[in-house]
Amino acid sequence: MANAVHHEENHDLKKQIWKTFWILFGITLLDIALYFLMPQSLGRNLIFVVLGILKAVYIVGIFMHLKFEKLNLILIIVLPMAFILFFVWLMFYEGGKWSAM
Amino acid sequence: MSTETLVQPHAETENTHMWSGGKSPFNVSYGKLMMWIFLLSDAFTFASLLVAYGTLRFSFSGNVETPWPLPDMVFNHFPFFHHMHMPLFFVSLMTFILIFSSVTMVLAVEAGHRNSKKEVEKYMLLTIIGGLAFLGCQAWEWTQFIGDGGRLFSNNFGLTEQGIQKGLATKLFGHIEWVEEDRMSGAIPFASFFFVVTGFHGFHVFSGVVLNVIIYLNVIKGTYERRGHYEMVEKVGLYWHFVDLVWVFVFTFFYLI
Repeated sequence: MANAVHHEENHDLKKQIWKTFWILFGITLLDIALYFLMPQSLGRNLIFVVLGILKAVYIVGIFMHLKFEKLNLILIIVLPMAFILFFVWLMFYEGGKWSAM
Repeated sequence: MSTETLVQPHAETENTHMWSGGKSPFNVSYGKLMMWIFLLSDAFTFASLLVAYGTLRFSFSGNVETPWPLPDMVFNHFPFFHHMHMPLFFVSLMTFILIFSSVTMVLAVEAGHRNSKKEVEKYMLLTIIGGLAFLGCQAWEWTQFIGDGGRLFSNNFGLTEQGIQKGLATKLFGHIEWVEEDRMSGAIPFASFFFVVTGFHGFHVFSGVVLNVIIYLNVIKGTYERRGHYEMVEKVGLYWHFVDLVWVFVFTFFYLI
C-alpha cells in the first residue's frame, strides 16, 4: 500500500517535470516568434525581459525545487535577486543618459 | 558519523526554536545550503557582467561613429547553410539543447530519490551528452564570430549606410555576404562582452560537465548506492540548472534584445 502511494507521487513528479519542460519550450518559441514578427521597440524588449524572468521562475522553482523549500531559504535567494533587478533597471537608465552626453 | 555525535547533545536539550541551533533552520543539508549560497554569489557575478553590458549598450544608442552592431546581422549563421541569413536559429537550437539537458538532470535527481541506480546512470549520461553538445555549438559560434572579424578589443560589425541598406533588403533565409564597404568598426565593448560573457558561461558549462562526469562515475561505481542516498546528484543538479538559468538571460540580452 505504502509502495503504491510512493509510486503515485513519483508519477506526479515526472508529469510536473515534463509539464515544466513544455512550458519553457513554449516560452522560448514565443520569444522567437516575437523576435521575427514584432518590430524592435522598448515594449518588445520589456516583453523579452518579462518572459526571461518567467523562465527563471520555472527553472528555479520547479527544476531547482526552491518552490518546495522552506520560506527562509526562498527568501535568502529571491530577495537579493530582487535588489539586483532594481540595480539592472537603474544602470540601464544611467547608460541611456550617457549616450546623450 | 561525526556530525551525528555533534548534533546529539543539542537535540537532547529542549531546543524547539528554529534558530537555537542543533538543526538547520532551512531544513536542507549543509552541502545543499552552501551550493545555494555559492550559486547566489555566482548569480551576482553574472548579473554584474550583464549590468555592465546593458549600461554600455544603452550608452551607445544613437552613436554613428562606432555604432553598436545589430545582433541579427552578426549572429545569422547556421552550420551547412553558408551565407544564408538565419538570425537566432542557431542560438535557439543551443537554448533547446540546454533546456533539454536540464530536464534530463532533474529526471536523474528524481530517479535518485527512488534509489534507481540504472535510471540515474541513464539520465546523467544524457545530461553529459547535452552539455558536450552545447559546448560544441559554442565552439562553432566562436569560430564564426572570430572568422567574421570579431576580436577582443576590435570588431568590424558596424554597418555603413550601404551595409544597413543591404541588411534591410535581405529576407529571412536570403543570401547575404558582406563586402569591405558594407562594414566599419563597431562599438568595441560589443565583441569584448561577447567573448567575456559567453566565455564565462561556457566555462561554467565546461565545469558542470566535468562535475557531472565525476558524479556519473561515482554512480556507476555504486558510491551513492552504498551511501543510501543520491544527494550529490541533487547538488550537482542545482549547479547544472543554474548554468541553464544564466543562459536564459544571455540569450535574452545578447541575442533577442
